[in-house]
Amino acid sequence: MTGFFDEGLAGVVATWVAALVTIGVWAYLVGERRFFRLAQHLLAGLATGYFTVLAVREVLLPRLVEPMVSDPGGNLLLWPALLLVLAMAGAHWLARPVVAVPAAILVAGVAAFALGGAVVGTLLPQMAGALLPPGPVSSIVNGLIGLAITALVLLGFLHGVPRSRLMAGAAGTGRWLLLGGIGGWLGFLLVSRLALLVDRLQFLLGDWLGIAR
Amino acid sequence: MSEAGAAPPSAGRRYGSMSRPRGAALWWPVLLVALSIAILAGGAVPGGALQLANPDTARVSEVDEAFDALPDDALVLVAMDGDLGTYPEIRPAVRAALDDLLRRGAALAFVSVSVEGRAIAVAELARLGAVGVDADGLLDLGYVSGVEAGLVRLVTDALPPGAEGAMASTIEERGGGLSAFDLFLLVGGTDVGPRTWVEQVGTRLPQKPMVGLAPTFAQPELAPYLRTSQLVALLATVRDDAAYVESVGDDAEAENPADRLPSAAAMLLGMLVALVVLAQALGGALPRLRRPAPRPAVEDDEA
Repeated sequence: MTGFFDEGLAGVVATWVAALVTIGVWAYLVGERRFFRLAQHLLAGLATGYFTVLAVREVLLPRLVEPMVSDPGGNLLLWPALLLVLAMAGAHWLARPVVAVPAAILVAGVAAFALGGAVVGTLLPQMAGALLPPGPVSSIVNGLIGLAITALVLLGFLHGVPRSRLMAGAAGTGRWLLLGGIGGWLGFLLVSRLALLVDRLQFLLGDWLGIAR
Repeated sequence: MSEAGAAPPSAGRRYGSMSRPRGAALWWPVLLVALSIAILAGGAVPGGALQLANPDTARVSEVDEAFDALPDDALVLVAMDGDLGTYPEIRPAVRAALDDLLRRGAALAFVSVSVEGRAIAVAELARLGAVGVDADGLLDLGYVSGVEAGLVRLVTDALPPGAEGAMASTIEERGGGLSAFDLFLLVGGTDVGPRTWVEQVGTRLPQKPMVGLAPTFAQPELAPYLRTSQLVALLATVRDDAAYVESVGDDAEAENPADRLPSAAAMLLGMLVALVVLAQALGGALPRLRRPAPRPAVEDDEA
């Protein structure tokens, strides 16, 4: 049971719609594209409607419109946000520099938060964890193996520069290690997707047909 | 060639420009039917030989330790950022964790910085309400836009406009930001997940314990955070999820179970099919690997 659908008529309708759309998507596997396209359009339409409602109800109204209406002079930082919203909504009459400055601040801010977080929250702690392994010898060996693999894979990205036979061998080893890593990750992805497929089948057999509860 | 030429014109249009091996369209229904039979057969033989749960319960113990360390009447933030495409895989473990926390007397506040996560949070809140969870133990902090920037704002201001109730008052008394919470339960998806929370919130509130719940494909990305203790616990494989659900208390025998783990028999069959396909592909590739690779024109050792 997904637990998302109640026992009433709405739940029955939702279960049937979900089951039919699932089968419609799977119909693509045997070459039937019409149901698949219908499901695609349904998804795109529903997602657009949902995103719009979410943006209006949970972002624009409580975070932008209501504060500006209640205290226009006290929320000066919201005016650039309003300009951006107007520009996104197609207000081409706005002068480009007026919009460009808040847009630049927005992009730069997002990039700074993402990059800063990646460096402080991932790169530095992971380097510290790899370079200064606490605990037993096995941790040190693991760290050294990780260091060797990292170095070899980085060498694999050396293209178009003169290098010796040894370096070429190391670069080739690095590329194979990279392929091995990607293969391992694809294995995780396979298990993940298989679990999703089994879940859908269990939904059809259990929630819809009621034969595998 | 002659057979392909004799095929009806609609057959070419049906598959468009995609080239498929003959009979591929038939394999999928056969696979789906086989998996269905495995689900039905596996359901008839509960437990025993086909166990999905991981016998190594180290990951489960870490989750238990994190939950055991919570104070009485703890406030737990559930960062619901799963996505609709991968959430079904971790749904049983997420629900088991929510039930586990509620049984321990914790109050849960839900927040999302991804739009799909918000839809899942609303659905889970409605489900918890429908099964009779006390409304005072639940709080909806809503959707926060801006992902990274939104997370940084949450650190100091987590309450949305108009939030009220006992839990909102407690959060307000504790400063109104994320530091009011005793633990973060991070439910991840494809785009946003524990990594984003560790990077943005963990660096600002390093003393707060974070527990991650993520789909299997995210395990290689998230495991290093466990090693550096940035995450105190992580469930990111189907086997660990199953082990955790079993440890919390498997209600599979109940008349209306809250959720269901993936069928072990179907997973086993699917993996065997995947192995056969992989072996077939490797067998086809080996002759090509034996041949010497053509030397690239630009890359040259002696250049």
